[in-house]
Amino acid sequence: MQTSRRQFLKLTGAGAAAAAARLEAAPAFAQAAGPVKIGVLAIRAGIAAPVGTAGLRGTEWWADRVNKAGGILGRPVQLVVEEESNPKDTVERYRKLILQDKVEVVLGGISTGVTLALGPVAEDLGTPWLSWDGTTQKGVEETMPNPKWAFKSVDNEVEAIAAGILTAKYFKGVKTVAGINNDYSYGHDCWQSYLAVLKKLGMDVKPVLDLFPKLGVTDFTSHIAAIQKAKPDLLMTSFWSGDATILMKQAAAVGLFKTMKGVFTTAGGVHDSLKKEFTPEGLLLGYNSMYFDDPKGSALLKQFVREHKARYNEYPPYECDHAYFCAESYKAAAEKAAGGSRQWPAKAQVVKALEGIEVESLSGKRSWREDHVQMCNFFQGITTHKNGYDFVTVSPLEVISTKQAMKPAGTKLFDWINGWKA
Amino acid sequence: MTQHVVNVLLSGIFHASILFLVAAGLQVVFGVQKIFNLACGSFYALGAYVGVSAVGWYTGAGGPAALFVLPLALAGLAVGAVGVVVERGLLRFVYDRDETFQLLLTFAVVLMMEDAIRMTWGTSPRSTAGLYLTYGQVPILGAAVPVYNLIVIGASLAIALLIGWLLTRTAFGRIIRASADNREMAEALGVDMRRVYATVFTLGTALGTLGGALVIPATAAMSEMGIELIVEAFAVVVIGGLGSMRGAFVGALIVGVLRSIAISVYPELEMLLIYLIVIAVLVLRPRGLFGGAAA
Repeated sequence: MQTSRRQFLKLTGAGAAAAAARLEAAPAFAQAAGPVKIGVLAIRAGIAAPVGTAGLRGTEWWADRVNKAGGILGRPVQLVVEEESNPKDTVERYRKLILQDKVEVVLGGISTGVTLALGPVAEDLGTPWLSWDGTTQKGVEETMPNPKWAFKSVDNEVEAIAAGILTAKYFKGVKTVAGINNDYSYGHDCWQSYLAVLKKLGMDVKPVLDLFPKLGVTDFTSHIAAIQKAKPDLLMTSFWSGDATILMKQAAAVGLFKTMKGVFTTAGGVHDSLKKEFTPEGLLLGYNSMYFDDPKGSALLKQFVREHKARYNEYPPYECDHAYFCAESYKAAAEKAAGGSRQWPAKAQVVKALEGIEVESLSGKRSWREDHVQMCNFFQGITTHKNGYDFVTVSPLEVISTKQAMKPAGTKLFDWINGWKA
Repeated sequence: MTQHVVNVLLSGIFHASILFLVAAGLQVVFGVQKIFNLACGSFYALGAYVGVSAVGWYTGAGGPAALFVLPLALAGLAVGAVGVVVERGLLRFVYDRDETFQLLLTFAVVLMMEDAIRMTWGTSPRSTAGLYLTYGQVPILGAAVPVYNLIVIGASLAIALLIGWLLTRTAFGRIIRASADNREMAEALGVDMRRVYATVFTLGTALGTLGGALVIPATAAMSEMGIELIVEAFAVVVIGGLGSMRGAFVGALIVGVLRSIAISVYPELEMLLIYLIVIAVLVLRPRGLFGGAAA
């Protein structure tokens, strides 16, 4: 299924054992011929393994493409892949990537529990780190407002905010809502943000039930019984893994969505498991920051989707593009910092070039905000069976920018939402 | 109102049915071999994945959807044979060692199985698509109950009765109980302990794999699904009493139904309630409700 690290080194490294002394120390021309080593942290076990796999696939596809086109400033790209697991071990592997493998940049990081710990280490080690999906937020509060080396993903709760905005548009008459979210920061934050947005947008809704099963639960029949009893007009969930599929299936078995609306803010991460047989039309479904079937998608997206399908027999989820963007923005920044010469730039110059840079990514244009937060579009829409797949897609598709759905630098989330001009 | 009571109770009993199969596997192995088998959760996950593949193969070959339960259950039972491999290949070397070694070894099996599953089936959740809905629903006192849930509950109950009959009414059962009570005496009377251990461990494994296979149409297979269940299975075992089949049955019902009631009445208590009961049992009746009984 997946290219192993060894195969990959063979593929991209061209067997070149790079001398790779620290760039700051050695004259740039001395290593111009060696490959650029890029560290990658990917989760490959546990509930987030599909997400980590998707990120790795996006990065590998990028590396193949870049190497075929002559590399970065003439140097081929070589990926050094390590595992993201718990914060302590991941920090150790991060240090190893920089101190031992001497990579130029580290890409990756999905779980905010881990990336919260990585942030200060990245600052300490003075090598750029571009996070795929992890932030340095504690709850909804930013802990690193002015990082030098760390580049962070979009705020975790953006998809819940976007879903709130679209709920107000599509499900106007709703009076009562229930939420089922995982019992950890992401689940709680999404539910709170979603409710705050509905309230701000003038929806007079009452939360009648909030369920917080722990991450990894695979039987929701009892939760569904509780939802049936609470009879909300709408059920919201931020489930993003196999649990979204299970909830959908077990809800279908008792006809839950015949009597209520449904909002799945993040289930697009496992979109091809949402089969038509048990996923009804008319739900609001979020695909995070890339939608594989975007009718306005670029040629780049179409090529990626086609090749991903051919290679893995799956349609790619959003994490591929978080990862693609991190890698592609690094390349663009290195080239920008080189300023037209073939001289390899120092790490600090690359970081400076990354700030505010905008590149063409799979889902469209993405950029780094000046305070090192990823800016992109979020894709959500109403589920439909009118497609050639055996799973649902969305139509109409709504595109919401992080400019609209993510708190600006330096603000507090709920103050910001409350300050909206509705 | 009755409709809600039915919904809550039946979803709790459905959960208990699966929990019982896994806990029963844990109990039968502990009862006879005195090994606390952490890997029972992995066997459950393995059964689930094999179930998905078997059903995929079955529908791919054009088998009628209405009969998918048969290949599913057969595959679940058949993969229980992996128990012989684990017992003969690994466990038998640590019977005379300290319990810590045994725990460590079964934990190693948990880790290896998770990796083996990931290498075989990949990291994405696997499911049997819409087969769960094949049998539709039946109205019970105003509640729409998925028929498949009733099939699982029925199957679990039948297995409980079968095990009860096996243990109390057959020669094999008498040998198992004798071995559980006093291994040396049983051996002195000519019982081939190697065969008993291999058989018992395989039985325990097959209960777990069957549980995983039966639950899979209603859920999705994820490589870490066993770890989640094993925590609840522990609670069942502590409440019911280590080594007792009756304990597994009653413990599973208590955990399943109370969890379901808690979720409906006061969701914050979902897991806490289970642990409160575990603590209460440990304080008031440390051997569990049916502790001390052989197998």
